[in-house]
Amino acid sequence: MQQLISVVLNSLLAAGLYATMAYGLAVIYGVMRIINLAHAGLMMLGAYVTLTLFSRFSIDPFVALIIVGPLFFLFGVLLYGAVGKRIVRSGATPSMESLLLLFGVWLVLQNLAYVIWTGDTQSILTSYTMKSVEIAGVRVGVPSLLVFLASAASLIFLHVLLKSTYLGKAIRAVTQNRDAALLSGVNADRISATAFGLGTAFAGIAGGMLSTLMAFTPDFGRSFLLKAFCIIVLGGMESITGVAIGALVLAALENGLAAYTSIPTSFQDAVSFALFFVALVAFPQGVPSLVTRFQRRAIIR
Amino acid sequence: MKAFWLIAGVVAALFALFAPLVLDRGTLNDIWNLALAVVLASAWNLLGGFAGQVSLGYSAFLGIGAYTTVLLSLRGTNPFLTLPLGAVLAAVFSLIIGLPAFRLRGPYFTIATIGVSEAVRVSASSVSFTGGSSGLRMPAGSFDFNVNYFSMIGLAILVVALAAYVKRSAFGRALAAIKQDVDAAEAVGVNSTQFKLAAHAVSAAIVAIAGSLYAINFQYIAPGSVFDFRLSLSIVLMPIIGGVGTVVGPVLGALIFSTLQIKLLSIPALRDSFLFIYGGLLIVTMLYEPAGLVGVGRRLARSLAGAR
Repeated sequence: MQQLISVVLNSLLAAGLYATMAYGLAVIYGVMRIINLAHAGLMMLGAYVTLTLFSRFSIDPFVALIIVGPLFFLFGVLLYGAVGKRIVRSGATPSMESLLLLFGVWLVLQNLAYVIWTGDTQSILTSYTMKSVEIAGVRVGVPSLLVFLASAASLIFLHVLLKSTYLGKAIRAVTQNRDAALLSGVNADRISATAFGLGTAFAGIAGGMLSTLMAFTPDFGRSFLLKAFCIIVLGGMESITGVAIGALVLAALENGLAAYTSIPTSFQDAVSFALFFVALVAFPQGVPSLVTRFQRRAIIR
Repeated sequence: MKAFWLIAGVVAALFALFAPLVLDRGTLNDIWNLALAVVLASAWNLLGGFAGQVSLGYSAFLGIGAYTTVLLSLRGTNPFLTLPLGAVLAAVFSLIIGLPAFRLRGPYFTIATIGVSEAVRVSASSVSFTGGSSGLRMPAGSFDFNVNYFSMIGLAILVVALAAYVKRSAFGRALAAIKQDVDAAEAVGVNSTQFKLAAHAVSAAIVAIAGSLYAINFQYIAPGSVFDFRLSLSIVLMPIIGGVGTVVGPVLGALIFSTLQIKLLSIPALRDSFLFIYGGLLIVTMLYEPAGLVGVGRRLARSLAGAR
């Protein structure tokens, strides 16, 4: 029983972070039909900016997120102006050129970080890094709890933004049907720039949060990029609820496998990559589509 | 234009074959590295260029070849006899991945290949027979510079010739049709999955042979070196910068790549960040000339012809 509570709790905590990480990808995919490979580089950059704010200006990493978010939003808008604009959205599926272009951006970011911060492993040590609290009889690290709260806050912010502002409605409209949105007078270029900024901001925030949980190098981010892909594939690529479901499924699987099987932790990443591959091939529309498919079948009967 | 490239290719091949008579070991090593780059780029181009299926998972095949050679050599087999086995294993693995992955199109396929290669790398680092993170060393006395040099040069010549042949063959035309429009190709009776699987298997086998020669040349391999993501990256960058889907492009890309590599790696500050340059090149290529250097050449030729 104790173990079950621990697995559930840890999955929930991890899912918050995963959802933040994946949402950045999902919003850009939804609006622009681009798979943003630079996401990994942006997460890495988020971690390093948080580190710099912490070590130079002794700003607490979680306070730093308030700076990192808007900063990365601006950076994303600029990045869109520099390269994103050139990416022509070609129909329903993403183009290979855009993928490779953003891949180039990732490489540049990563190697820029090697030049600026060197390849040494870095980490952020605060007064509470090693502390933990007890929840329902399970010991939970303070940083992971704070990460969960920060993720929840940013996702709630996002939810409000999407549900109740014009901008959010426009983003959802373009995601659902770009042509119809254009016909009703949505400025697609501006919405794309905003979505790119939003996705970048979420990448930066996710990176900043990751930096409080683990050590990192400029190469860091790739395995999280794959996890984020896994989540949006599981979640059906577009909706925020889908992302949340995907994040929960992945986190529960990882924690469940670690607790109930003897698969060594070094294999954990391999398991989630394999899940990603299976999900992509077996149900490319994600878990929500499976549910609707079963519902439809039930109705037919 | 075709005649020019043919002559240039023959001259380059002859030069590489007779180079050991005049050049020193260091330069020959550089030529060996260039030949390796040519093999990897041209092999990747069979699937990625001709059929348009961009895979970022080719280090897996190189690693399979390299590990087959090292593991069997340690048990007393002649390293060169292990080459075919590595090639077959890699081809089989390419089919196992390809069967499900080719159901995906375009970028989705690309991302799936990143997942596969990362899974392979992580698994290889955590099982014991690969030597874990400390790697494995080839048995002593298994290295002969000349044999090693000529096998890589020979392989490079064969692969480029194969690419030129495939490009003109019915097989190559089917791949080109798949690249342009899968649905249209299917409609005129091209079984796209079969052709993609075949191209994948052939290029995987070639990369595995190159991996075996890599292990023989460097005498030491580790999951971190042969399954490295940067390796997969380099394999993709060369043909794209040179000119994807052409015979000459990957060779040009490999030439630029390995020359830059030698220059950049000699600057200590850039040792970790040499991919910075390639990332920049990739961005510039995608923004201004997605057909790569070959595309730039075509433009130049056209404007020259127009000026006349």
